[in-house]
Amino acid sequence: MNDPTPTPPTAADGAPPVETLRPVAHLELKAAALLLFTLALIVGSGLYLLYARGAFEPTQTLVLTADDSEGVVVGMDMTFSGFPIGRVRRIELADSGNARILIDVPRKDAHWLRASSVFTLVRGLVGGTNIRAYSGILTDDPLPDGAVRPVLRGDATAEIPQLMATARELLTNLNALTSPDAALGSSLANVKTLTDRLNGPGGALGVLMGNETDAKKIIATLERTNALLARLDGMAARADRQVLGSDGSKDALVPEVRAAVAQLNGLLADTRASVKKVDAVLAEAQAVGANAREATNDLGALRAEVESNLRKVESLVNEINRKWPFARDTELKLP
Amino acid sequence: MRPPPGRRYDPAMISRLPGLSLPERVWNTARRWAVAWWRILYLGAVVLVLVLSPSSYGKGTRRALARHLYLDTAPVLLGFTVLAALISLVLTRIVVVTALSYGLSRYALEMVIRVLVLELIPLTAALFVAMRCTIPNGAQLSRLRQAGRLAALRSQGSDPVRIELLPRVIAGVFACVTLAALSCVVALVLAYLGVYGFNMAGLSGYTRMFGQVFSPSVTMVFVLKTLFFSLAVALIPMAAGLYDSGERTQPDSELGGLARMFAVLLLIETASLMGNYY
Repeated sequence: MNDPTPTPPTAADGAPPVETLRPVAHLELKAAALLLFTLALIVGSGLYLLYARGAFEPTQTLVLTADDSEGVVVGMDMTFSGFPIGRVRRIELADSGNARILIDVPRKDAHWLRASSVFTLVRGLVGGTNIRAYSGILTDDPLPDGAVRPVLRGDATAEIPQLMATARELLTNLNALTSPDAALGSSLANVKTLTDRLNGPGGALGVLMGNETDAKKIIATLERTNALLARLDGMAARADRQVLGSDGSKDALVPEVRAAVAQLNGLLADTRASVKKVDAVLAEAQAVGANAREATNDLGALRAEVESNLRKVESLVNEINRKWPFARDTELKLP
Repeated sequence: MRPPPGRRYDPAMISRLPGLSLPERVWNTARRWAVAWWRILYLGAVVLVLVLSPSSYGKGTRRALARHLYLDTAPVLLGFTVLAALISLVLTRIVVVTALSYGLSRYALEMVIRVLVLELIPLTAALFVAMRCTIPNGAQLSRLRQAGRLAALRSQGSDPVRIELLPRVIAGVFACVTLAALSCVVALVLAYLGVYGFNMAGLSGYTRMFGQVFSPSVTMVFVLKTLFFSLAVALIPMAAGLYDSGERTQPDSELGGLARMFAVLLLIETASLMGNYY
């Protein structure tokens, strides 16, 4: 450090020129190869970049109009079913004050966009803005080049103020509910006294009746009902015995009824026999009736015959009377 | 700091002794600083003119140029590429795994490309070239100057800048650009492999994302940055080697050249970051 000047020049006197003149085999070839390699790297990277930027792809233009282009950046994708099918090329302000978003859609992806397609601009809470295309009817006419479409905005952050207002309202209501003089508090206090009374003497009956005497009355009623039921039980047992009878006893109702029914059965059998006899009598009476009808018919014929005979006799008598007048009363009476 | 008795005093050391007043020292420092920067700018302009003039690539200099080009780039190319591959592999892995754990995996690849290709690799390449080639070349130039070879060339009627300095500067720039380009390509390939593995399924999405990251402005900033990095790395050590005369303190001046180089790199990096993200 004290004496830097004398030593380095002597050390470097002859060495560097000798070192720089060390020969390299096929120097020019190697240098040219290296140059070509670097050139190829740079040109290749440039071409890949151009390809990645879509420079070699035929595109068609789609113009989306939005009232606010916030979050939209040049180069961002437009997606269809999650697949990028277009790229924002430019954003400009139209004369009407709307934002015009110019999107390049490669021709090979353009068939996803139809005349009836809908475009949305969605801004999430986290992450960037997304432009999405929806094509409901894929058989519709394809979207023409340079088509202008409005974009629907769906903004998650835009709903935050509304959400906050609602939340505040909810909190206010909650506060009102939980304040010491609120209805909820007094209701809870009532519930507490109720549970106290439920736990106390009388329990739920006391709660239902309101005071203890009524509850006691209810209990007394219950006890009397119990006694009544016991008596009813006894009565039922007795009735049972009377109706069905105990083993060996003859004074029960049901065996007597059974015997009466047996007798009734016999009676009915007798009746059936009598009815059969009546039936036979009736059959005979029917036969008599039939005979009588026939006889009546014959009588009719007979009567007709007698009537015709009588008429003949009468006409004969008249004839005779005319021809031979037995009655001499032929005078004419004049008025 | 007091020298042992019987030794000769170094004039540079004398200038630093507290005999000089404060304004004089400030003036000296400012003058040195201004002269050093001016020399860098001047040499840059000279080199630019020489690079653009076809006579610089004559038969005599072409061989020296090819030699420097080859010797400065080829020996470090493989080593640096392997180093860059290793770094990019590790960084890709870290970023992808971290992003996955936060559920942000769709941004991981973009971040890897931005961090590695746009920012880290050009800077690393420039520093690597500076350490391996241009700083030793600057020292070599300084030794040649001290050995009187530059003066001899000048006396022969040829231009020492054109004969000795220009090939070294061009070789430095070329090495820097080549290393950066190759390692960027390697890092891109490794990032793809690190995320998608050995299949072509993600290639279209990767290409699309690459296109989105490298927008025209970003690409321009990237290219300019790499170019200015390489120029700074190639030029500043040469300027330090070429111009420092024996009457100044040598080690201090070499360190000054290094400091200036780092300052310029820092400035370029800051400017590129501002250009990209503001």
